[in-house]
Amino acid sequence: MRFQDVWFRYSRRSDWTLREVDATVDPGATVVVLGRNGAGKSTLLQLAAGVLRPSRGLLGDRPAVIGWVPERFPADQPFTAGDYLRRMATIRGITDPHAVDRWIERLLLTEHTETRLADLSKGTAQKVGLAQALLVRPGLLVLDEPWEGLDAVARTLIPDIVTEVTAAGGMVLVSDHRGEITALPDAIHWTVSEHGVHAAESPNASAEAEVIVEVAMRRSEATQAVAQLRAAGHRVLRIQDQVPDADVRGGAFLAEPDRAQEAPVDRESR
Amino acid sequence: MTALVAMRVAGFVRGGRALAPLIAVLVVLGVIYGGGASPAAVAYGYSAAALFPVLAWLTKLLLDTEPDVQRRLARLAVGPAREATAGVLTAILLSLVVCAAAMVAPWLFHGIDTEQSLATGIALGVLAHLLAVPPAVALGALASRAVTGSVRLGVTVLVVSAVLVVVLGLTTSWAPWLVPPVMATARALNDPRFPPSAATLAVLTGWAAAWCAAAYAAYGWFRRSRA
Repeated sequence: MRFQDVWFRYSRRSDWTLREVDATVDPGATVVVLGRNGAGKSTLLQLAAGVLRPSRGLLGDRPAVIGWVPERFPADQPFTAGDYLRRMATIRGITDPHAVDRWIERLLLTEHTETRLADLSKGTAQKVGLAQALLVRPGLLVLDEPWEGLDAVARTLIPDIVTEVTAAGGMVLVSDHRGEITALPDAIHWTVSEHGVHAAESPNASAEAEVIVEVAMRRSEATQAVAQLRAAGHRVLRIQDQVPDADVRGGAFLAEPDRAQEAPVDRESR
Repeated sequence: MTALVAMRVAGFVRGGRALAPLIAVLVVLGVIYGGGASPAAVAYGYSAAALFPVLAWLTKLLLDTEPDVQRRLARLAVGPAREATAGVLTAILLSLVVCAAAMVAPWLFHGIDTEQSLATGIALGVLAHLLAVPPAVALGALASRAVTGSVRLGVTVLVVSAVLVVVLGLTTSWAPWLVPPVMATARALNDPRFPPSAATLAVLTGWAAAWCAAAYAAYGWFRRSRA
């Protein structure tokens, strides 16, 4: 996907929100969009999603299926969460009724399916917003502050989902101002300011740099897993007996064993 | 697109916003048929003209019910052209339901004088309502928040246009072609002894079609240029 000399302002009389944006996102890439409040992060993401149209310039090579998770989910609608997602699935042309249930379960929405959208907590509404964007696997996933309002368990789902989308050749754009990006070590960083958008490789992005992954596993499997990791050329730094609360999110990240096995295979194939 | 239409009907009806235009429809029908029986063509001609602003308002309310962000999500899901078309189709569908109710209502109040030629009158009435629906929906769509950007501007567009349809539709009008032939149709049906000729009906239909073509083209252009 390419931004070609994209300029944007909200009305003829207002100042330019974004100027001269020239940038490219490759298939399989994750881009984290950074910048201070009001710098235009959300605007840039909405341009990428095709929700806003550039005032000048154009966006090329956008994939056909785009998932957009808005910054605030529009909860002012007279539907229950389950009804809303089923309707959005039908609108997306999904005929398989289990497609919706899969995401409801995965995003821990099962107990909220009969709750009206207006009565959902902010975090739960955010998960409904996430689910509707993922019903069809998107070629471009745009996440506007996806961590906002999510609890610790749900936060760990996002890196997982991002990895799945990019592993299938999709692109992901994420905005973030809370430093959650450490969960996306491969991401490219874009900084939005009044001077435009600057792309910078993430400091850790070079292939040689190391990242630290915290994993929780059953004691009975630990010895074997450590041996396997060492055999694969990784350095195992520390083995800890108890998992303190703060580490739960690191642990849940790779909690599902099938996905943990999938991830390295997907990396190689892309 | 059927699913999107269904979702918008459900959102409009369940959210309770359909109540206000429903009451307006009942008031209009009560006023028209409260006073006694008149020939079918005359009654239906008035009914179509009186429902025109109500249907335009109903369309605006319907299209404004959906939050802006949800409209954008729908746009991503089905594409911009189909999202805009689905909105118009939903409004036309609901308007046709209202018109069907308006065609049936006088029979409950004994509002139709059955001594006059009934079949012709009913056929003309159906035509009059069908000529009112697409322009009313176009006007409501042009006054919707997705086009005007603000509620106040939308209401202004709706009210001024509805008044202009009446004022410019009078026989003394200097520019009747600027507005859809709502008043002209009601006048053509007003005298049951001289039903309108086929040529008159063809002119009215062509006039409505041309006006709608321009209005829907404008709507499409606004929706393309504004997110």
